[in-house]
Amino acid sequence: MPTTRLNLLNGLWAVLVKDSLCEFRTCYALSALFMFALISLTSISMSIGVVSLPAQLTAALLWIILFFCAMSGLSRVFVQEQESGSIVVLRIYASGQAVIFGKLLFNVIMLFGLTFFVIPLFTMFLNVDIYRWPMFIMILFLGDIGIAATATITAALVAKTQGKSALFTVLTFPILLPQFLSSIGATTKILADSQPDMSEIMFMAAYNVAIIIASSILFDYIWYD
Amino acid sequence: MVKIALGLWISGVVYAVFSMVPAVEGLGYLVRIAFFHIPVAWVAVLAFFLSAGWSVQYLRTREIQYDRKSAVAAALGLLFCLLATISGAIFAKLTWGAYWNWDPRQTTIFILLLIYGAYLVLRASIQDEEERARISAVYALLSSLTVPFLVFIIPRFYFSLHPEPVLNKVGKLEMNVVMLYVLLAAVGACTVLFWQLFECIVHNKQRSV
Amino acid sequence: MLFERLNLLVNSGQCLAVTGANGSGKSTLLKMIAGLVHPTTGTIHVLGDGRQLDIEERIACIGLVSPEIVFYADMTGVENILFLTRVRGLTCSLEQVEEFCQIVGLVVYKDNLVHTYSTGMRQRLKFAVMLALQPLLWLLDEPSSNLDADGKILVAKMIDNALTERKTVIIATNEPWEVEYADYKIELA
Repeated sequence: MPTTRLNLLNGLWAVLVKDSLCEFRTCYALSALFMFALISLTSISMSIGVVSLPAQLTAALLWIILFFCAMSGLSRVFVQEQESGSIVVLRIYASGQAVIFGKLLFNVIMLFGLTFFVIPLFTMFLNVDIYRWPMFIMILFLGDIGIAATATITAALVAKTQGKSALFTVLTFPILLPQFLSSIGATTKILADSQPDMSEIMFMAAYNVAIIIASSILFDYIWYD
Repeated sequence: MVKIALGLWISGVVYAVFSMVPAVEGLGYLVRIAFFHIPVAWVAVLAFFLSAGWSVQYLRTREIQYDRKSAVAAALGLLFCLLATISGAIFAKLTWGAYWNWDPRQTTIFILLLIYGAYLVLRASIQDEEERARISAVYALLSSLTVPFLVFIIPRFYFSLHPEPVLNKVGKLEMNVVMLYVLLAAVGACTVLFWQLFECIVHNKQRSV
Repeated sequence: MLFERLNLLVNSGQCLAVTGANGSGKSTLLKMIAGLVHPTTGTIHVLGDGRQLDIEERIACIGLVSPEIVFYADMTGVENILFLTRVRGLTCSLEQVEEFCQIVGLVVYKDNLVHTYSTGMRQRLKFAVMLALQPLLWLLDEPSSNLDADGKILVAKMIDNALTERKTVIIATNEPWEVEYADYKIELA
């Protein structure tokens, strides 16, 4: 009787395509993300008027907006599966690693998309000048991966609990904090027209690697009974 | 027996703090708060690592006793962490006039408080025993993973934002021998107190099961 | 506690029927074999080539039809089948999927979103998935529930084919005609 091992890459791709298709058709999480970003940016801009904020504050605002947007939309990957009941099908037919990496990639792409939308509005509404775009994009890239990776594993944790959305933010924040602080620090430097150290960039990259590896190892304990 | 010895030990420490420890330059008798604050902070951190360690044991062996121990350690850890945060804030107020200034140590203890809170709220929201054990064990491990990153980033972040930091002077105290011994005795007493409370609660839980 | 001291060996090409009143644990037993639920004590062995399969290999050879299977409502029947085959690492062309839909009687609705399907159609879709995945171990929990007379004939044909192809079939049911297929029967109290 021949037995086959599940191919990780195929499974990952299948999960990613499936999530993207469903999301594209319902815009369940996308609308939450974009509306939240728009509302927070406009309300901040309206309240500060033409005043130019110090670099630190602007950097903190950017990452706070991205964080809370993520909290409003990235838990969908597991919570919706659980609520609709389709998680059973996934449990039977997909391997744990394919699920976590596929959904992680999905969240990363969603967050990148959101960031791409937010940044032009951010520079406009908050009167921000950015001179070092490549470095800024690198920081956004690393920070987004950190947020998405942490949000995906905590979404898996809260999927089966009561009171999911509040718990989701409460659980994600302490874990994400190091990356959150480094992103703000590095962005502050960019907005003050100086260059962040290489060590800060390495720190952010190391955090992402650590969280992704930990998610992969720990997910099997969540997924399989 | 152990309880009596512990009672005596704690009384001995309290007496020593009030009578034997000399006034410190600049801080006066306020340094006595440190003899409460440092031991409870130490126990709060110890409890965190114990909880994480038992989480690993649970995931490896799936024996529910490790999950119970992990939960009790976390609950006690939260209590000690709360005491540490409050005593630290009081000390800060009395010495520098502000309850909270986000210096590295205050930030770290606050984050520990957040992690404990998150862990216990997570536990409270899952009904099934085995599932609760598994999910909270995973969270305990995930949060202990971020500790090294926090320890690295917080001082950097703080010092980059606050050019004249208000450092916790206790860390820079030159302890004379008497003070050092009393402090160690206080830390020891606190650890044993934690251990006693822990055993008591775990014992009660096992009996009620 | 649902059941204890169950000890049985089922070989390929054989069929096991699990009967019992509602709530006796038939579905739970099937879920245990599928790996969804952990038994409190005891073990479930799924053997291939004479050796115990680990969790990933076990996933690769099981197919489950059960009331708890819920498809993705925002995808079409075809997309659901394609997703499940791909996530399993199998390749399935559109023509093959169409053929499976033809066999189960869903070809007219195959490109409609699943949330427009009736319960009977969803049940047929579950069998289309089984055809696409061709698992070696078929776990059927109340397979002909929600199906009309045509549907029941379809189920009979599929079980027959599966047994002819030397698959192992385990059915949890109270329908007497389904129990007829079984080489072994166990009744859960």
